[in-house]
Amino acid sequence: MAKKNNLMMAGASIAKRNGRYIFWFYLLNVFLAWSGAVAFKVQAESVMDHSLYADKVLHGFDLVTLIELISRPEFGPLNSAVMPAVYFGILFCLLNFVFMPGVLAGYAATGRLTREDFFRACGRNLWRFVRLLLFFILIGGAVFGILSGTRVGLAKAADTTSNERLPFFVQITGLAITLLVMTAIRAWFDLAETEVVVEDQGIVRRTVAAGFHSMRRSLGRLVGTYVLIRVISLIAIALGLWIWLVAVPPDSVLAAFVVGQLIAFVTLAARFWQRACGVEFFLGSLAVPAVEPVSVPSGSVPPVPMVEGGA
Amino acid sequence: MFLRNAVYCVALIIGLAGRLPGQESVSIPATTSAINSSQPLSQRVVAYNIDAKYDAKTHALEGSETLTYHNLTGQPLDRFPFHLYLNAFQPNSTWVRESKRDGTRDVAFEKWETKDYGLVEVKSLEVAGIGDLTSKLEFIQPDDENKEDRTVVQVRLPKPIPPNGYVQFKIKFHDQFPETLERTGWKRDFVLGGQWFPKVGVWWHGVWNCHQFHATTEFFADFGVYDVRLTVPQFEVVGASGVEVASVNNPDGTKTVTYHGDDIHDFGWTASPHYKILNDTFQGTMGQVALRIMMQPAHWSQAERHARILKETLDRFERWYGPYPYKTLTLVDPEADSAAEGMEYPTFITGGTSWFMPGGVFLPELVVEHEFGHQYWYGMVATNEFEDAWMDEGINSYTEVKVMDSVFGSMTSVFNQSGITAGNREIQRIGYVGVADLDPMVRNGWQYATSNSYAGVTYGKTASVLVTLESVIGEDTMRQALHTYFMRYRFTHPTKEDFLKTVEEVSGKNLRWYFDQAVYGSQVLDYEVLKMESTPVDWYKEKLKEKKGETLYRSTVWIHRKGEFVFPVQAEVKFDNGDKVREHWDGQDRWTRYVYEKKAKIESVEIDPDHKINLDRNNFNNSRTANANPKPAHKLMNYWMFFTQFCAQLLAGWLV
Repeated sequence: MAKKNNLMMAGASIAKRNGRYIFWFYLLNVFLAWSGAVAFKVQAESVMDHSLYADKVLHGFDLVTLIELISRPEFGPLNSAVMPAVYFGILFCLLNFVFMPGVLAGYAATGRLTREDFFRACGRNLWRFVRLLLFFILIGGAVFGILSGTRVGLAKAADTTSNERLPFFVQITGLAITLLVMTAIRAWFDLAETEVVVEDQGIVRRTVAAGFHSMRRSLGRLVGTYVLIRVISLIAIALGLWIWLVAVPPDSVLAAFVVGQLIAFVTLAARFWQRACGVEFFLGSLAVPAVEPVSVPSGSVPPVPMVEGGA
Repeated sequence: MFLRNAVYCVALIIGLAGRLPGQESVSIPATTSAINSSQPLSQRVVAYNIDAKYDAKTHALEGSETLTYHNLTGQPLDRFPFHLYLNAFQPNSTWVRESKRDGTRDVAFEKWETKDYGLVEVKSLEVAGIGDLTSKLEFIQPDDENKEDRTVVQVRLPKPIPPNGYVQFKIKFHDQFPETLERTGWKRDFVLGGQWFPKVGVWWHGVWNCHQFHATTEFFADFGVYDVRLTVPQFEVVGASGVEVASVNNPDGTKTVTYHGDDIHDFGWTASPHYKILNDTFQGTMGQVALRIMMQPAHWSQAERHARILKETLDRFERWYGPYPYKTLTLVDPEADSAAEGMEYPTFITGGTSWFMPGGVFLPELVVEHEFGHQYWYGMVATNEFEDAWMDEGINSYTEVKVMDSVFGSMTSVFNQSGITAGNREIQRIGYVGVADLDPMVRNGWQYATSNSYAGVTYGKTASVLVTLESVIGEDTMRQALHTYFMRYRFTHPTKEDFLKTVEEVSGKNLRWYFDQAVYGSQVLDYEVLKMESTPVDWYKEKLKEKKGETLYRSTVWIHRKGEFVFPVQAEVKFDNGDKVREHWDGQDRWTRYVYEKKAKIESVEIDPDHKINLDRNNFNNSRTANANPKPAHKLMNYWMFFTQFCAQLLAGWLV
C-alpha cells in the first residue's frame, strides 16, 4: 500500500510539475466542446430567445419543454444540433492521440521539455501510436467483446429467475469486472506508449510485449493505482454534481458552467494523473540495482534517451 | 278453482315463454355479496360460471363455462358471437398483422417464437335444451377480410331465443397462454389470466357488437355475475376480480379458489408463488373497500407507495365523480419485464414498477392511478373500447391529470427528481402534438393511421381537449359534468353523444362549435404572436430623444391563428412600465391586431396567459418578448457542452 501510495504521489508530483499539459488539454476540451455545442445553441435560441415558455427550462428544468423544443420543426433537425458535438468530440480524441507522445516525453523528462522537443516527440511517435492503437483495438476489442458477451449471457441466464435484482447485479458485477480488466489493458498500453516515447522504440510489438510483462509483474500495484485514481475522481464528480444540484440556482447559467467545468477539469486531470503514474512506473522499472562500475569500451555508448537527464 | 288454475297456467306460460326446454330454473342471480349495495346495480345480462384448472408447467388451462344469457334486446336472437381473444396470438391473426405493421407496446415481430403462441380452443359447446352445437361453430371476421383470424366465433341456434328469454351455453375450452402479450399470459412462474374464456358479444344499437381483437383495441362486454373457481398449484398466491369466496386444498397438490363478482363485465386473475400481500381498507361512501395489494418481493418497499396512491385516487374519485360500489379492489404488481403492466379488469388492476424507483419518479403512482381510473371509465361506465377508445382511455387520462395534479402538483406530477420536473398535463399534450392532424378522436380504434396516432389521440388529445374545455366551462362545471355523466351512465354502455350532451347540459352551453372541431374533427389548434412593435408617435420629428416614461409610443401587436381550430383566446400585453392589458379575441379571423398608445413600450405578449389551453400544438410561439433572453438557450448549451465534454474525455481516455 505504501508503494502504491508512493506511485500515486510520484505520479501526482509529475502531473503537477507538468500541470500546463492538463491546462492546455482542458482548454482544448472546452474549446472543442463549446464549438460542438454552438450548433445546438443556435437552433435552440431561434425558438427560445423570445418566448416566455422557455422560462420553464430556465427556472427549473422541465423535461417536457425540452422534448417539445427538440421536436419543433423550427428547431431544425436534431442531427444538425447534435452531430457537430460528435465530430468535435472525435477531434478531441485525435488531438489527444497526436499530442500524447509529447506529454509522455514531458512526464519522463526531469526538467521542462522545450516546445520543440514536445512537438518533435509528437511527430516522431505518431505512426508508432497509430500501430499501438491498432494493437489496443485488436486486443482490447477482443477482450471487451468476450467479457461483454459473457456478461450479457450471464445476465440473460439470471433473467430466467424471478429475482428481479439478480440480472441487474450480474450486469453491474460484469461491468465492474470488464472495467477492471480494461483498466489493466489500458495500463498495459500506457506502459507501451511510454516505452515507445522514452526509449524511442520503433518496434511497437516489442513495447506491447514488454508493457504486458511489466504490467503483469506489478498488476496489483499499477492497476490498483489506476483504479484508486478513478475512484477519487468519481468521488470528486459525485461531490461536484451534488454541489450543482444543491447550491447552484436553476437560473444561474454561469454558476452551473463553473461547477460543470470544475468537474470536467477533475475528470481530465485524473486521466493525466494515471498517465503520470504509468510513466513513473515505467521509469522505476528501468532502474537497475547498483553494480560495480565496469569499463565500457569507447564507441559502445548506449543511445541517449531523448528525455532530459535520461531515465 | 278453474279460474285459479287458468291464471296459474297463463302465468306459467308467460314465465316459461322465454325459456328453452330443460331450462326451467335458468336466470341471472340477483346476488349482491360483492358490492356495497343491497340491490343489483346493473341490468344483468350475463352470468358466467366457470371452472378452470391451470397447469403452471405448460401454462395451459382447461375450463368449463356455463354462460347464462338474458335476452333483453327486445327481439328474438338466434345468433351469438363469442370473443376468443387468445387466438390473437397466432402468426396470421389480425392482431399480429396489425402489430407487425404498426408496432405494439409489447413486442417487435422480427421473429415469432413458440412461446408467443396463444390459443383458446372451444372443445364443445352445448346449449341447454337444444344440445351439442359444436359443429355449428364458425369463425367470423366482422372487421376485415382476414379469414385466418379466429378471435370471434359464432353459433346459430336452431330456434331463436325470444325477447326476455334466457339461453344457457355450456362450453368446454382449452387455453394456451403466451409469454405475456397484451397484458395476458405467463412470465417465468407468474401468470395473468386476461381475455381467457369465451365471452359473448354485446347486443348494442340493434346489432351484435363483437369485434375481432386488434393491435390497438380493447374490450366491450355486458354486465353480469361471475362465479369462477380457479384450480392452481397450492404454492400459488392467487388474486382475481371480485370477492374471494372460498379456498380449498385438493388432494392432488392443487387448490381451488372461488371468486364471485357482481355487476362486472369481465374477469381477470393472476397467480404467482412470489407475491407478498399488503391488505388495507378504504372507507368509501357506499361502504368499506378491501384493498389487496399483491407485490413482487423485490418491490415490497414500495407497497406503501402503492397503497397511498390507491387511497388518494379512490378518495378523489369518490369526492369528484361518484362512489366506488365494489367491496374489493385488487392491485397486482406483475412480474418484472412482463408485458402485464398497466391493465384494468373490473375490481382488479395491474401496476408497474421496478425495484429501483426513486421517490421523485411517480411512474408507479401514475400507472396505479390510471388503472384505477378505469374502474370508473370502462369498469362502470362501460363504453365501447373498440369504437370509442377515447371515452375510456381519454376520459381516464383526463381524470389522471386531475388526480396526479392534485396529489403531486401540476408541474411535477410525473417526475420531480434532482431538479428535473415533468407534469402529466404536458406529457399528455406532447403525446398528441406530433399526430395532431392525423385522426379525429371518434375513429374506430383499429382504424387510426398508426399506433402512435391511436395513442396520441385517444389518450393525449382527449385529455388535452377536456383540460382545454375547462377554460370554456370552468373547472368546477367540468367536474360536475363528469359526476353527472358517471352517475347517469354507470353500469351502462353510453355513446359519445351521451357524454357530450351531458357536458352541454351541465354547463348550460352549446358546445357544438368545440366538439365539432376537437372531438369530431382533426383541426389543429395553434395560435402565435405573429409580431409586435413599439414606435414613437413622433417618430418623424428630427432629433427625437426617446425617454422612458415620457415618450409616447404607438405599439402594435398581431395575433395569428395558424391552425384551422377556431378557439377564443386571451392575450396579455405587458408594457415596460409594468402596465398589463388583457385582450379577448374570438379567433374567427385568421389574425387580429391591437394598437395602443402609451408612454411605454411593449415588453411582452402572451396568448393564453393563464395556461388553460392545453390543445395548442406549439407553446413556444404563444408568447413573444421584445428583448431576447438568451439564458434558456445558454443553459441548455451549457448542459449539452458538459455532457459532450465528458464523453469526449471518456473516449480519449480509453483509446489513447
